Amino acid sequence: MKTTLASLIAMLLVTPPAMFALDAVGDVPFPIVERFENFGKESGIPANKVHCVTKTSDGRLWIGTWDGLCVREPNGQFRRYGPEHGLSHKMVLAIVEDPRTGDLWLGTMRGLSRFSAGKLTAFTQTSSGLPNNVVYGVALVGDTVWAATAAGTGAFNTKAGEWKIYDHNNTVMHEPWCYTVTGAGDLVYIGVWGGGIIEHDPKRGTFKEYRDPDKDFHFDLVPDDGPINDITSWLAWEDGILWQTTYFGFSRYAKGQWQTWVETRSPLPSNFTQFVWPHKRAAWVGSDRGVSVTDGKFWVNYLVGDKGEGLVEIHRPGATQPEKRTMSTALANQFVLGIYVDDTEAWFATSKGLSRGVFAKTKTAVAAAK
Amino acid sequence: MKRSFVTLSVLVLLAALAATWGGREWSLSHVRYFTGRQDLGWVSCYNCHLVTLEDQPWAKPRPKHDSPAGLAVSPDGARLYVALDDRDQLAVVDVASRQIVQRVRVSGNPYGLALDPTGKRLFITCKGGDRVAVLDTKSLKEAESIEVGLMPAGVAFCETKSGPRLVVANSGSDDISILSLSPFKEIARPAAGREPYAVAAARGGELAMVACRLAAAVGLDAPPSSEVTVVNPGLGRVVSRESLDSAHLSEGVAWVPSRSWALTPLVKVRNLVPITQVAKGWVMSSGLAVSDLGGALIQMPLDEVNDYFADPSAIAVDAAGRRAYVASGGGDTVSVIDLERLAAWLAKAGEREKEEAIDDLTLSSEYVLARLPTARNPRQLALSPDGKTFFIAERLQDSVLAVNTETLQPLGRIALGDGGLSDPIRRGERVFTQAAHTFQRQFSCRSCHPDGHVDGLAYDFDGDGVGDNLLDNRTLQGVAGTMPFKWNGKNPSLEIQCGPRFARVLMRTDPIPPADLQDLTTFLQSQPPARTVHRSQQGKLTESQEKGREVFFATHQPNGTPIPRDRQCATCHRPPLFTNRLPSDIGTKGRYDTTNHFDTPHLLGIAASAPYLHDGRAKTLEELWTVYQTNDLHGVSSYMNKHQLNDLIEYLKTL
Repeated sequence: MKTTLASLIAMLLVTPPAMFALDAVGDVPFPIVERFENFGKESGIPANKVHCVTKTSDGRLWIGTWDGLCVREPNGQFRRYGPEHGLSHKMVLAIVEDPRTGDLWLGTMRGLSRFSAGKLTAFTQTSSGLPNNVVYGVALVGDTVWAATAAGTGAFNTKAGEWKIYDHNNTVMHEPWCYTVTGAGDLVYIGVWGGGIIEHDPKRGTFKEYRDPDKDFHFDLVPDDGPINDITSWLAWEDGILWQTTYFGFSRYAKGQWQTWVETRSPLPSNFTQFVWPHKRAAWVGSDRGVSVTDGKFWVNYLVGDKGEGLVEIHRPGATQPEKRTMSTALANQFVLGIYVDDTEAWFATSKGLSRGVFAKTKTAVAAAK
Repeated sequence: MKRSFVTLSVLVLLAALAATWGGREWSLSHVRYFTGRQDLGWVSCYNCHLVTLEDQPWAKPRPKHDSPAGLAVSPDGARLYVALDDRDQLAVVDVASRQIVQRVRVSGNPYGLALDPTGKRLFITCKGGDRVAVLDTKSLKEAESIEVGLMPAGVAFCETKSGPRLVVANSGSDDISILSLSPFKEIARPAAGREPYAVAAARGGELAMVACRLAAAVGLDAPPSSEVTVVNPGLGRVVSRESLDSAHLSEGVAWVPSRSWALTPLVKVRNLVPITQVAKGWVMSSGLAVSDLGGALIQMPLDEVNDYFADPSAIAVDAAGRRAYVASGGGDTVSVIDLERLAAWLAKAGEREKEEAIDDLTLSSEYVLARLPTARNPRQLALSPDGKTFFIAERLQDSVLAVNTETLQPLGRIALGDGGLSDPIRRGERVFTQAAHTFQRQFSCRSCHPDGHVDGLAYDFDGDGVGDNLLDNRTLQGVAGTMPFKWNGKNPSLEIQCGPRFARVLMRTDPIPPADLQDLTTFLQSQPPARTVHRSQQGKLTESQEKGREVFFATHQPNGTPIPRDRQCATCHRPPLFTNRLPSDIGTKGRYDTTNHFDTPHLLGIAASAPYLHDGRAKTLEELWTVYQTNDLHGVSSYMNKHQLNDLIEYLKTL
């Protein structure tokens, strides 16, 4: 007994701070960010504003900035590609990898670009069938590249070289301003800025519209009755769950059921949500007040305090008050425009720099390390 | 009686004159009404009527020939496989006796060949069938087949950590099919450069190099560059895109394991220099790109100062990396390159010397060991596994020449056919591909018109300054019946187009002899339009293409507004050839053009002949209307939304 007690005391003394963090939040069913590492112009990123971030299957990190596309080289330096290299426009809004060829497809403010083995090829509304040059979102479904643009969604079949356009002329969408598009198994979901969500089955050629049933811009009158709002800023789908961010709240759709969250009735820190990245059934949501992570029950919010310090709020189901902590580091900026998360780390594109979220070690990882 | 006769004669004459005058007036009013153009004079009925596709020479049956395409030698060196694309056959040759032992039917124009390392399976690209067939070499039966991209040409077998792979260059769809063998399926289809053509494995199969023939359309005044696309066959990914600046028409590629070099024959092109300035810079020349696949790429000349070896195509390298062999399809020669001497020159050369090497034709004497004469049009090469023999496919002689690599002496010729000289089309193709008709054998017709098609470049045909007055190169495929020729429409026939003036301006030699000229034009008229639709999609229009067809033939805008006749697509681009063969003003006159009327090109195979307009300013079909439309002169397009424009282009791709 004495030995056990001594061992426990010794373990508490030598265990690093991460272990304390782990013990305190061990019930949270998704990774917890322990600290942030931030990168800005001083790190070689060409612009403060980082619109999007992703990691490709070869492990390289790519960011789309206000002033070009960047890849993080193995030595940690950022290498920039701009219009002088063939990029269709310097402002890169979206990046997606073709998992079969490794090519990157980039949404920019003046067209769609393909980055393939160092070579950029531009597809614009004048040189190709792209419906509009402002490409907000890109998705890859099989052989088709989907581009959500300011005048409809374009679908480019890379094998046939054929473009199709989906807009208010040939679908149920009532306006063409598309912000986002995502593949969902055999289906494609298109987020229309003021028109909710369009579900498209390419094989059948069918379209189905999901709109905010209460049709109120500013209030969610009836919770969980449909999309939180028509102003769809981003969509993401993973493992049967569709997540929707809007400027007026956040939604989840799975098995025919909707769940909605607004800041007044949930831990969501801001209704102004503009990006969501799902990972293992948890959603990482970017808003103008930081990042929220939720599986629909637990919530962890990463916010930035008045003095620039990092704040963490952990909301557990059934708890009346969140657990609040202060972090030694914070997001580069609270306005989060893009997110990438995998099993090992998280990356956040913000309006003033790029942040890497370093995860606290999990119980299993700590045990394995020991 | 006499007076009556005179009166009657006068009356008949007057009546005839009246009928002639009336007929002419009716004809003029007919033409002007149906074209909507009041500036036109008398136009032949044949411009718009009495023309059918079936009547075109290229639609008629023509003699087939035993033209060798791809070659492959079995691992034991006993068998040579020869693809006979024109015959839909594969010839199996006993190397020892140099006799064909069997002909195997392979449908879809078998073209490229690759063997697996055991020699048990032969992989065959079928260019006309858009597929890859697998032949069991024991039974000589087709075991499997898979659909790939449009017009597959080259193929290479690669042993990778992920298993065996085939890499296929789809020349018509500008992409690469990467196939796994068990199961036999396409695992990826990455985009290549323009017109991927030849493939070779590198680094033991870890990589594959795909040489692309054409440069991407770049618009006015920009030098072209083509690409060698390097893929990782195991992962199905492109790992690099080697740029061949101011160069194109690469039809071969090889890897030198001992030196880690990729070798790519090329044509150094100078299309922005006025072609009249022969002694002052213009003239395309042959070269060889030497690349380490790591970013270092040097272009070395293959020609000599006063003698050229046009249309470099295939390349083969011996296993020891001592020698490379490059076929000159236009020069009827195989150049033997001493790679040790080439390496020595590269080792001692400074950076600037390397950069300028391609323009110094004196250099080739440093490393070109020999020039071996061949029969007509050597296009493909293969080395025996022991490296002692190399085989040269003499495409327009219907033969394969075997050469001893040590003595560089011919061992004998394998006769596949009779050479086809009784066929004027075959004779014409021999003229078309022969550089001997040009000064110092600098180039052949094929140098600008690979396979009768386009090289995708615009050339400066006048001496008014570098790159100032470009003219887009036009396809010769589907050219029959589309006279007049040239963008200004001044040449009424192919005989004149290819006649003495052409010899003075371009070839700078004596004109092609009349009999040869007759054969040449017969060959040109036998060239069918480029196929731009995959076999699996031919014969039916998609919904989008059908809508595009309606746009093309529209006489009214969707709101009911009539489209003037002279602005309807089908007026000038009248089916079935999709040209009325008349010059038109579509508002594209450039700064240095002396006319605003340009010949109306036919649209058959139009999707494969970028760039567009008389000076090649439009890089894509879309740009014809989104960038270079002027006051709806090139058809009324201002009413179109992007759906309609996309539909129209999808339809044009089917022509």
